Amino acid sequence: MINYRVIALIRRELREKLLSKAFLLMTILLPVLMFGIFGVQTFIMSFDSEKNIIEIVSSSNDIALNLQSIIAESHFVKDSTIIPIISHMGKSKFDEYIKTKEDDLLNEKITGIIFIPESALIDKKIQYYSRTPKNLRLLERIDNPINQVLIEKYFKSKNIPVEELKYARLSVDISSFKISKGEEIKEEGYGNLILSYLFSFLLYLSLIMMGSMVMQTVIQEKSNRIVEVLLSSVTSKELMIGKILGAAITGLLQMIIWISPVILVASTTLFVLPENLTIDITFIQVAYLLFNFFLGLLIFVGLFATVGSIFEDPQDAQSGMWPVMLLVMIPFFISMSMIENPTNPVASIASMAPFAAVIVMPAKMAMVDVPLWQVLFSTLVNILTVIAIFPIAGKIYRVGIMMTGKKPSWIEVIKWLKYKY
Amino acid sequence: MGLLEVKNISKSFGNLKAVDNASFSVPEGSIFGLLGRNGAGKTTTIRMMMNIYLPDSGEVTFGGIDAGPDFNSKVGYLPEERGLYKKMKVLETLLFFAEIKGKKGRNVTKLAKEYLKKFDLADRMNSKIETLSKGNQQKVQFISTLLHDPEVLILDELFSGLDPINTNLMKNIILELKERGKIILFSTHVMSFAEKMCDHIAIIDSGIIKLNGPLADIKAERSQRNISLNYKGDISFLRNNSMIENISDHGNSVGIRVKEEKHIQELLKLLVNSDVEVNKFDANDISLEDIFIETVGQEVAEEVKYD
Repeated sequence: MINYRVIALIRRELREKLLSKAFLLMTILLPVLMFGIFGVQTFIMSFDSEKNIIEIVSSSNDIALNLQSIIAESHFVKDSTIIPIISHMGKSKFDEYIKTKEDDLLNEKITGIIFIPESALIDKKIQYYSRTPKNLRLLERIDNPINQVLIEKYFKSKNIPVEELKYARLSVDISSFKISKGEEIKEEGYGNLILSYLFSFLLYLSLIMMGSMVMQTVIQEKSNRIVEVLLSSVTSKELMIGKILGAAITGLLQMIIWISPVILVASTTLFVLPENLTIDITFIQVAYLLFNFFLGLLIFVGLFATVGSIFEDPQDAQSGMWPVMLLVMIPFFISMSMIENPTNPVASIASMAPFAAVIVMPAKMAMVDVPLWQVLFSTLVNILTVIAIFPIAGKIYRVGIMMTGKKPSWIEVIKWLKYKY
Repeated sequence: MGLLEVKNISKSFGNLKAVDNASFSVPEGSIFGLLGRNGAGKTTTIRMMMNIYLPDSGEVTFGGIDAGPDFNSKVGYLPEERGLYKKMKVLETLLFFAEIKGKKGRNVTKLAKEYLKKFDLADRMNSKIETLSKGNQQKVQFISTLLHDPEVLILDELFSGLDPINTNLMKNIILELKERGKIILFSTHVMSFAEKMCDHIAIIDSGIIKLNGPLADIKAERSQRNISLNYKGDISFLRNNSMIENISDHGNSVGIRVKEEKHIQELLKLLVNSDVEVNKFDANDISLEDIFIETVGQEVAEEVKYD
């Protein structure tokens, strides 16, 4: 199957792809870009309306005074992201007051006005008036101190010591421990979750990128008529294998470059990660991930190459590749859904189903302990998928690349399978 | 080395019978011309020889062995629709095409540079293909069919789009390869090239081989009572002459067939007496163009003439 002709084809693909600007750009820029986006996000958030003037009006003087002292301690006041103005007045007076402040609210001179009525001590219901009342970040920050004041005020009459109140106010803090067979029980952080998210994303990106890259070159060879020269020297099977292996090797190399920093961080003590971000990954897992990715490349690059062979015009191909795109996208979304619930039954089935297994299984493995038989089974499914689709894809490719003229319909493509070529 | 044989190959595309039971053979050290109009089945026949299309029936053999991938690596193939990787460099392109034929190393590089020099492209060695003119791209493609020292050259519409100097250059290289015992098969609808170069021809029309054999034999068979004439003046009076069987006008020359052998001398006499200036009068000679038209039918005469 692999002879000097295939090797020559692979070498040409590698030379063309590895030295292409697109490859260098994606391989180096993507990580930079991803961290860049995080950076930009943090940067934008730091801007977040430095002059948020919030008026807090309480109908009770007591509450107003308590608020004053507690809010002064809050970090958002110290950071000066929120400037609180606290006052007290009765409900009827407030109703008039809010009317006089209407202009200020509309011009955003004041971001919002919070009114704490007397009844809040019974039902904890308070009111917020603003031009943009759904500013969750802002409200999230301010509702805590208000709650605290209300609780203190409420329990003061009940003669409960402050320490006990403190306890009551604490929320539950869950430490997660992962139980694994034959291993010590250890506390699990978010490291693997992030890793799984990251890897799924890279897998998805790389499959689509490599796939459409190959699709483009197939279309190009077809429309440039190079394919006829090539076919006078190599068989269509050799051409397809050369193309797919060329792209798979390129993709694998790219993935290794992408994940090596992660592996480095996980396997050495050079970098100290916060305790709840430790990554728990073994060398065998990395090897499995790469092997699984390689199989994925074979499957999806093969499918993309087949789609490319059907069309002569890149635009037709764009619209013709949706079935393949769905095969990549649906499993990707299933993987993402696992972040909410790793034992999601749909994900369990998908992790062993043809096409989806490539994408779902690695994500699942990072989050739950998958029995070995399932991992092996899913790998077997992937290998069988490769074996099953190649004769079909090869046949379509064989007929397709020499077919010029009218854009074929899907029914015609199915008929090609019966052609003798 | 040996005989290249095409035996009873057929190919249909849907209802269209592109090639119907075609057979011919090319001995080593000879040039074979596959002649036909556009759409006659030349390219389909050639693609079947190259294993690009699988014949519905029939086979292609080389030296008695079925043609397969090994045969392909002994062939230099120039398709009708040329194609090169636009972003690749000239020398890189040549070496890649040699490599998929199984030839690489210092000698191939050296030979590639020699050919580039011969075709006046030595200074463009490291240019990208897309920066070359169409004619130069054509030359690069031609070199790529020769570089692996093939035993068989299959050239589809070799001379289309080439200037006279480069046409001549290629002609000389082809003749040189013939001397070295290679088999050269080319398809064309330009009869003058075929007439000058081919040892064997086959004429294909509507997918059927109408005529096939050594050019000299074919000519000898058909040149009886035929005169190839170059002249100045008016010969329209010949149209109604009783000794003339047929006249075919090709512009600067004309093919005349008389009814009986003895009419040849009478015709010459008549021309001289009628004040026609006779520049060339070849008795028992026939042009390939005449043979072609006779074979595929008069209605295509116009098409062939102006191609």
